[in-house]
Amino acid sequence: MGLLACYYCCSFLSCRVVHSPVGGSKEPSGNMTSLPALTASAKMAAGVEKATKDRLLSVLGDVEVLSRELIEMLALSRNQKLLQPGEDVQILELLVQRDREFQQLMDVAQQQGKVHQEMQQLEKEVEKRDSDIQQLQKQLKEAEHILATAVYQAKEKLKSIDKARKGSVSSEEIIKYAHRISASNAVCAPLNWLPGDPRRPYPTDLEMRSGILGHMANMPTNGVNGHLPGDALTAGRLPDVLTPHYPWQSSDVSVGLLPPHHGNDFVLEPPGHNKENEDDVEAMSTDSSSSSSDSD
Amino acid sequence: MAVAQLKAEKESDDCSLLPLVHDIIKCMDKDSQDVHQELAKLKAKIQEAREQISNMPGIDCSPLDQQQQLATLREQVRTKNQLLQKYKSLCMFDVPKAS
Repeated sequence: MGLLACYYCCSFLSCRVVHSPVGGSKEPSGNMTSLPALTASAKMAAGVEKATKDRLLSVLGDVEVLSRELIEMLALSRNQKLLQPGEDVQILELLVQRDREFQQLMDVAQQQGKVHQEMQQLEKEVEKRDSDIQQLQKQLKEAEHILATAVYQAKEKLKSIDKARKGSVSSEEIIKYAHRISASNAVCAPLNWLPGDPRRPYPTDLEMRSGILGHMANMPTNGVNGHLPGDALTAGRLPDVLTPHYPWQSSDVSVGLLPPHHGNDFVLEPPGHNKENEDDVEAMSTDSSSSSSDSD
Repeated sequence: MAVAQLKAEKESDDCSLLPLVHDIIKCMDKDSQDVHQELAKLKAKIQEAREQISNMPGIDCSPLDQQQQLATLREQVRTKNQLLQKYKSLCMFDVPKAS
């Protein structure tokens, strides 16, 4: 395959190894009239997909081969005069064309280098935007978390508000109840209270047993505990033997509470119990009630 | 601008190998002994061009592909800018300042 036949494939580099030296078999010169058009179309077809670097190297190889062929041809023509007239001119034209194409490709490569710089700047900008978006996304997630917590707490408060509204108690009832429990000196002792005064600031046995604690004491295990007999608890009062009798109690009350065989002068004195201990206990209860009332 | 253009033209002229080929032919016509030196120059010039091509950035693809990549990058930047603007223009809460 000669040099001119290689030109059809638009790459002298690939065909260079099979090139015959100048003076070998050559194509007829008449076939070269349509070469420029063919090479242009082939270049267009190949240039669409090929990278600029490959095209540059290919064209540079072509220039190198054409230069060598031209120089060898001229050298042989000076010595042997074997070349057909005009062939060196055609090779020279091809060389000029390839050289021009090489320069154009170099210009394209320089422009591509500028575009490459612009692309690098754009890539940096994209990375910066990505970091900004990620930071913003992180902040939005934190805000979402805070808002979700606030909404949950608000819903809980709304639930408690609805619950309070459903079980609402009027203020009048509260005031009435406050009057009732304060009128009986159950929460606060009178100002002129003295030991022995029946207007005590603590619940009575009857009130205690009618409360929750009293109902708990009614359970079957209470008898086992040995505090009080069950029948006495259900009666709402202490057994007669444990009922204290104070001198300020009226005879009517004591008669109503005590069995008939107990007289008005019945005084319970448990073992170890004396008048001084009783006074101490009453003083302590008064102090506690006064302190609790102060706290209120 | 004119300086840059002149520089580009000079670089473009520097890429041409025809002056060296012309010098070789002239030496051959004159039967000068410098033809080998000129041939070495041409060979060195071609080798230098190959190295320059290998080191040039951004020519690993065709201009068309590069333009497509450039358009894609520009589109990415535009989209991300729009997204950031959208985030920044969201309804902000007016936090009362503690007086």
